Amino acid sequence: MRLNDVAFRYHRRSSWVLRNVTLSFPPGGVTEVTGRNGAGKSTLLRLLAGIRRPLRGTIEGRPARVGYAPERFPADQPFTVGGYLSHMAAMRGVPDTAITTWAERLAFGDLLPVRLPDLSKGSAQKVGLAQALIADPALLILDEPFAGLDRTTRADLPALLAELAAHGTTVVVSDHQRCLEALPHTNRLHVADASVTPHPGNGPSPWTVLEVIVPAAEAAAAATDLRAAGYRVQRRRADHDT
Amino acid sequence: MIALVRFLVAGYLWSARVLQPLIVIALIVVVVLLQGPGGPDAAEPAVGTLGDVAAFMFPVWAWAARGLLDTQPDEQRALSATAVGRRWVAVGAGLLAAYGVNLALGMIALLVPLLQAVLAGVPVTAVLTGCGLSALVAAAGTLLGAWTSRAIIPNPGLSLPALLGGAVAVLLLGIGRLAWLSVPMIAWLRSAHGGPGAFVDGFPGVALHLVLWSAVVGGAYVAAARVRV
Repeated sequence: MRLNDVAFRYHRRSSWVLRNVTLSFPPGGVTEVTGRNGAGKSTLLRLLAGIRRPLRGTIEGRPARVGYAPERFPADQPFTVGGYLSHMAAMRGVPDTAITTWAERLAFGDLLPVRLPDLSKGSAQKVGLAQALIADPALLILDEPFAGLDRTTRADLPALLAELAAHGTTVVVSDHQRCLEALPHTNRLHVADASVTPHPGNGPSPWTVLEVIVPAAEAAAAATDLRAAGYRVQRRRADHDT
Repeated sequence: MIALVRFLVAGYLWSARVLQPLIVIALIVVVVLLQGPGGPDAAEPAVGTLGDVAAFMFPVWAWAARGLLDTQPDEQRALSATAVGRRWVAVGAGLLAAYGVNLALGMIALLVPLLQAVLAGVPVTAVLTGCGLSALVAAAGTLLGAWTSRAIIPNPGLSLPALLGGAVAVLLLGIGRLAWLSVPMIAWLRSAHGGPGAFVDGFPGVALHLVLWSAVVGGAYVAAARVRV
């Protein structure tokens, strides 16, 4: 997917939110978008998702299946979680089994009968993520997905995104809290002054060795998680007692 | 598209917004329509009532369409458009959902007048003409409501006056020399109150006018809404 000289502003007399933006998003890549509040991160993501149209320039090669999770999931709707996701799955032509899969993966299976307005902020955020993920999107766009999430889901999400990217999904995430910082092979874009520039930290970074000590019974699972997050894992006999 | 139509209708029904037009229709049915025509000359006023129903339902249909289209929060409208993939599908689904609900509301409003018309011995062709007229006026009302929905007029302080102003403008335009710009309300009221024969004879012209009006207003709406999803 490619943006060619894209420019956007919300009103004719307002200042440009983005201007002269030319970018490429390779398939299967993870891109983290950073910038201060109001810099234009969400606008860039909405342009990528096709929710907004650029006033100038073009966006080429957007996949047909796009998953988009907004910064604030609109929970003020008269549905239960299960009912809402069932409607969203039907819109995307996906069977309801995808709902239980993602509800279990994101640990909110017990919330399926709960009404959307009764959800906490973090639970609503999970529903927002699930509706974006159920379609097996070729382009996944997440606007501040870590905000309000519980610690476990927040820790699991980078590995999940890396796993999707490994299967060919192009992932673009705005991340104010820098939760993707540890994820290797991540492209970083910085939005400021109506322009989007590659982050100075972009490019291949040198590798280092980090020792992780886990109980022997959990070693295989931990290795799988780490590999899914994009790390190289080598197992060796531990010479520690603890 | 059908899945999005179902989602929109379910949201409208479960949010209880549908009660607003239902209460207005129930009041009109109880206060006005139940005092229907009787006696040996009841056929003529019964046909007139079919035209009257289409006239008073026009703003109600516009109001209901606006209510349905505004039930989705703005962010959900973006999610729905992303889910169905194409903007025109999302816009078309909104219109289809609003029109479907309006047809159901129209059936409720027409129930008593149709029964009265049949009991008064109104010819079947005139009864069917009344149904056809309401179906076409419901489409025109739906489009007027769509033009005042939040996707087009985000400010609720402006959209309600725009809805009321639009309904009044349509009525006033229909009186003067610019009647061709408006829905032919005066024409269908005149033919309906002229008796069953005049009602049936005048319907093709009224129907053509309504179809053309809806095609132009609907086409402009789809073009405007596609860039505002």
